Amino acid sequence: MALKGVNIEVHEKEIVTLIGSNGAGKTTTLMGISNLIRKRSGRITFYDWDITNEKPHRIVQMGLCHVPEGRQIFPYLTVEENLRMGVFGNYHLRNKRRVLEESLEQVYMLFPILRERRKQLGGTLSGGEQQMLAIGRGLMLQPKLMMLDEPSLGLAPVIVEQIFELLLRIREMGTTILLIEQNANMALQIADRGYVLELGQIVLSGKAKDLAFDSRVKSAYLGLSC
Amino acid sequence: MAIGYSIILGVVGLVTFVHGEVIVYGAFTGFYTLLLSRGNVALALLAGFAASWILGVVVNKICYQPFQQRGREVALIATIGLSITLRSSAQVLFGTQQKFMPDMFQNRFFALGDIRIAYTQVFVFAVVFGLCLLLQRIITKTYFGMALRAVSMNKKAAALLGLDVNRAILLGNALACGLGGISGVLLGMYYNAIHPLMGASMAMKAFTATVFGGLGSITGAAIGGFLLGIFENFAVAMLSSGYRDIVAFLILIAVLIAKPSGIMGRRGVELS
Repeated sequence: MALKGVNIEVHEKEIVTLIGSNGAGKTTTLMGISNLIRKRSGRITFYDWDITNEKPHRIVQMGLCHVPEGRQIFPYLTVEENLRMGVFGNYHLRNKRRVLEESLEQVYMLFPILRERRKQLGGTLSGGEQQMLAIGRGLMLQPKLMMLDEPSLGLAPVIVEQIFELLLRIREMGTTILLIEQNANMALQIADRGYVLELGQIVLSGKAKDLAFDSRVKSAYLGLSC
Repeated sequence: MAIGYSIILGVVGLVTFVHGEVIVYGAFTGFYTLLLSRGNVALALLAGFAASWILGVVVNKICYQPFQQRGREVALIATIGLSITLRSSAQVLFGTQQKFMPDMFQNRFFALGDIRIAYTQVFVFAVVFGLCLLLQRIITKTYFGMALRAVSMNKKAAALLGLDVNRAILLGNALACGLGGISGVLLGMYYNAIHPLMGASMAMKAFTATVFGGLGSITGAAIGGFLLGIFENFAVAMLSSGYRDIVAFLILIAVLIAKPSGIMGRRGVELS
């Protein structure tokens, strides 16, 4: 997937969503930010740092966490081990037991179901629980910015709603969120601002409320005719 | 040795053909250390570990890192090439003759009923057992071990958690090779002899044990190695010693046909 002229800005404490249909380049955009794929040109900055060519693990250590598409949890580790894995990127955390336990406690508070299942292997969880685990694992890093790639993928609408409500709570706790979604309707409900990606280009951007009522977005992504 | 194989396979996601040579170099380093230090076994084991550890880093730099973006078979073939190079150099460096490893217990043994057990055998078994326990602890309890497991399960996710995947692969491979070095020294002590060409058949046996136990499973590799040894010795006892290797490879073929995932193997493990 080729991207061209994608210009996205995320401000602190915002929820920004990047919506677009299948194959529009949403995941590619995130992979580009995390530097998991090579970029031919362009620039990515995070606070004052230029992270365009930074190594992926260094980017994470700066506080930019990426919850990948399809969750990518460790199936043969228990839930708690999965969560503990989350602090790899944060040397301060992983060497301070107390802070680590606090982090863990915080995640369990947000996702009580994970506490119940903490001894279970990650692979035995349901899809929604796995998604929660993936988000929780990202939160263990205490990131400044969390990028989520299609957290609604393959989940029942009720579960999606639960997860999106949790995203609002995570923002209240002070984490900025960049949300990539195909489910534009849901994403625009919780987001402050949004970008619409089409065939590798940003075709629309603006306040989430305005986008939700934009006729082009409606017809193309929300499945409503006007 | 099989355990080292299993780690490489799991972490690097690769079948390596160079492990036999790593073992040979470890064994010879151990052998010379043993001569120079007048029979200091601990030092010999350590030297064998260190030499193979370094070799592991070299293997990583030559065979794995340059081909990371390419298919796995490219790195695989690179290990074949390196293995041939190392094997030939070993003959130049160490000579083509078999070297006799001095026995630190002067071939003493104790009798258990009709069975004679050499002290060396007990020692080898104890070291292997100790290493297994240690490894188990490292893998399950330390951050390094967690990193190895994370990388072996999902490289992409590990990178997204801030883990330096390349470094984990480097260290995992070095550790595995280091263990191979120790096993080389132990093998030399067990058989009283080492040879620059012993690597190939050793590596095939380790591979068999690994497949037998289940690819990528460390416990499986240990069990596989143990069972393979028992089967081999049964073959020697019931048929003749010439059948030892035949049995080993018959097991490999049988396991591949009947249960490719091995004893402890996970079904459909993806090694990409």
